[in-house]
Amino acid sequence: MEITPFQEPSRISNNKDGDPALTVFLTRKETEVELPLPMHVKNKNPAPVQITTQQILLVTSELQEAEIRLPKQKIIDAEELAEYRLRKRKEFEDLVRRLRWNTSVWVKYAQWEESQRDFARARSIWERAIEVDYTNWTLWLKYSEMEMKNRFVNHARNVWDRAVSLLPRIDQLWYKYIHMEEMLGNFPGARQIFERWMIWEPDHDGWAAYINFELRYNEIERARWIYDRYVECHPGEKAWIRYAKFEVKNGEIARGRLCYQRALNQLGEDDVIEEFFIAFANFEERCKELERARVIYEYALDHIPKGKAENIYEKFVQFEKQYGDREGIDNLISRKIR
Amino acid sequence: MATAAAPKSHAACRNSSNPYHECSEYCFRVIAAGGGGAEVRQPDAELPTSFGKEAEPRIILRGRDASKDAGSVETKDAEEDTPAVVKEPEDLGIDPAAYDAMTPTQKRLFDLRLKLNMARKANQLAIVAEKKREDAPEEPRGVSKQKWFEEKKRKVGKQLEANGLDMSKAYMLDTQEDAEDKYKKWEKKPAPFGWDVFNQKSLYNGYIKRTKNIEVNPEEYAKAREADPDFYRDGASLQYGKQVPIPEENIERMVKELEDRGKNRKEFSRRRKFHDERDIDSINDRNEHFNRKIERAFGKYTVEIKNNLERGTALPD
Repeated sequence: MEITPFQEPSRISNNKDGDPALTVFLTRKETEVELPLPMHVKNKNPAPVQITTQQILLVTSELQEAEIRLPKQKIIDAEELAEYRLRKRKEFEDLVRRLRWNTSVWVKYAQWEESQRDFARARSIWERAIEVDYTNWTLWLKYSEMEMKNRFVNHARNVWDRAVSLLPRIDQLWYKYIHMEEMLGNFPGARQIFERWMIWEPDHDGWAAYINFELRYNEIERARWIYDRYVECHPGEKAWIRYAKFEVKNGEIARGRLCYQRALNQLGEDDVIEEFFIAFANFEERCKELERARVIYEYALDHIPKGKAENIYEKFVQFEKQYGDREGIDNLISRKIR
Repeated sequence: MATAAAPKSHAACRNSSNPYHECSEYCFRVIAAGGGGAEVRQPDAELPTSFGKEAEPRIILRGRDASKDAGSVETKDAEEDTPAVVKEPEDLGIDPAAYDAMTPTQKRLFDLRLKLNMARKANQLAIVAEKKREDAPEEPRGVSKQKWFEEKKRKVGKQLEANGLDMSKAYMLDTQEDAEDKYKKWEKKPAPFGWDVFNQKSLYNGYIKRTKNIEVNPEEYAKAREADPDFYRDGASLQYGKQVPIPEENIERMVKELEDRGKNRKEFSRRRKFHDERDIDSINDRNEHFNRKIERAFGKYTVEIKNNLERGTALPD
C-alpha cells in the first residue's frame, strides 16, 4: 500500500468561499487567531481621568431601571381567583421542589394557603413539611398555631400531642401546649400534660412552671407534693432552697426548717455548698432564732474549705455586727485570720 | 433609817437581816399586813433599774416623813428630792417602831401611798411588757411577710424620729451596701440579644410573662372542679384525648391571646432607616444584604486593609 501524503479533504478546499455551515473540519489556518504582538507598558503615569469602583457603582445604581413587577390586578370573579390560585400554587410548588430543605419556603406556602382559607391543603402542606424535617420544632409551633388561630381545637390538640411525643425534650412545645389547655379552661387536661412532662424529668424551669400552675389556683397541697418530687428529681441546693422559700412564704416555718434539715440529710455533710448555708442562716435569722443561725454559720465555716467560704465570712460578720457582741466579732475575725 | 445589813431593804422587812435583800412589792405587802413569812426574791430583774431606785426611797422617805409628820404635804416635796437622796443611809428604811407609833390615819395614809407606789410600779412593768410585745412579736405560725414589713416600717420610723427625719427620708438610714443592692434591683436587666432570644431561659421567661396575663377566675376553676370527678389526673389517665366541651368564650380568649402575641412578634425587629448618603458598595440587593452582614462581622478587623485598597497603596507600617 502506498503511503500518500496527507491531503486535506478536497471538499474543504473547494468550499473556502462557500457556505461555512457545510464545513465539517476547520483548517488550521482558519482556527488561528491573530494576536497583536506583546506590548510593553512605557507610560507608567496615572491616567488623567481616574475613576473609582465607587463611582462606577454609583453611576450604575442611578442608571438602573426599577425592577419589573407584575401589575396589580384586581380579581373580579371566581374564575380569575382560580387562575390566580393556580398560578401561585405552581410557583410555590416549584419553589418547594427546588428548595426542599428550606423551612421558610414551606412556611410561606402553608401560610398562603391558610390565607386562602383552604385548610385541607394547608394541612397537607404542613404534613409534607414535617415529613421533610420533623425535628424542626418551629414547624410544629407554626402548624399548631394555625390550627389554634382558626379555632380547630381538636386538630390543634392532635398536632400538639404528636409534637410533644416526637420532641419531648423541647420545652417550648410543652409550655405552649399547656398554655393552650389552660387558656381553654381545661384544667385537668393541663394537669395531665404536666404530669406527662414530669415523667421526662425536665429541668428546674419545667418543675417551676408546674408548681406555679398549681399555685395560681391555690392548690397548695398539690404544690407541696410536686415539690417533694422535684427535690427527689433534682437533688441539689437550688431545689431545696426553693422548697424552703415556698414553705416560708406560706407561713409554715416548721416545715421550712424541716426542708433545710432534710436537705442536709440528703446532700450529706460534705457536699453542701455555701449558698445553702447562707440561705439557711438567713431563714433562722428571720425567725429570730439567732443562736441557731450562729451555729449554722460556724458549722458552715468548719465544713467548707477556706477558699470557698468568703461569702459566709462576710455574711457572718454582718450578722454578728447586727446581733452579736464584741467577743463574737473578735472571735470571728481571729478565726478568719487563722 | 437603813439597816447596815441590808441597805436596800425596808427596815421593817423581815428579811432585812439578809445583807443582799432588796425589798419588793411582796415585802411591802407583807409589811403593810404586818405579818411574817419566808424570804422572797426580787422579781423585778427586768425592770429598768431607775424605777426601782426611785420607788424605794420614796416609800422610805414617806415612811420617815409619816413617822415624823403625819398627813403632811411635805411628802410631795420629799418625793421631788428623791433622786438626790437615794444613797444616804438614813433615808432608807422605816423605823418599825415609828410605823407602830403612827396613828391609824397615818397608817392608812402610809398604806395608801404604798399601794399607789405599787400601782405605779405595776404600770411601768406593763408598759415595758407591751413594748417588748410590740418590738418582737412572737408568732406561732412563724413570721408572716406583712407583719415583718410593718415591724420594719415601725423600726425605721422610730429611728427616723430619733434622728429628727421624716418618713420620706427613710433612705438616709441605708448603709452603703443596702443602697447598692437597691440600685442593682432598679437596673433594668438587658433584654436578650441575638441568639439568646431562643435560649431556654428566655423561652421560659416568655412563658412566665404569658402566664402573668392569665386572668385567674376562681369560680370558673371551682365549677370545673365540681364538674369533673377526675380533676387531678395522672399522666397516664385515660381521660386524655376525650372530647371536652369547651365554652366559646374560652376559645375566643385563646384566639385573642394568639393574635396579640402575633402582633408583638411583628414589632420585634424594626425597619432601619435607609441612608442614601452612604456609599454604595454593592451591585444588587442580595449583594447589599451580604455586605451589611460582612461588615458587621469583619468590619472592625479589616479597617486597615480596606483603607489601603481605597488608597491604592499600602502604608509602610
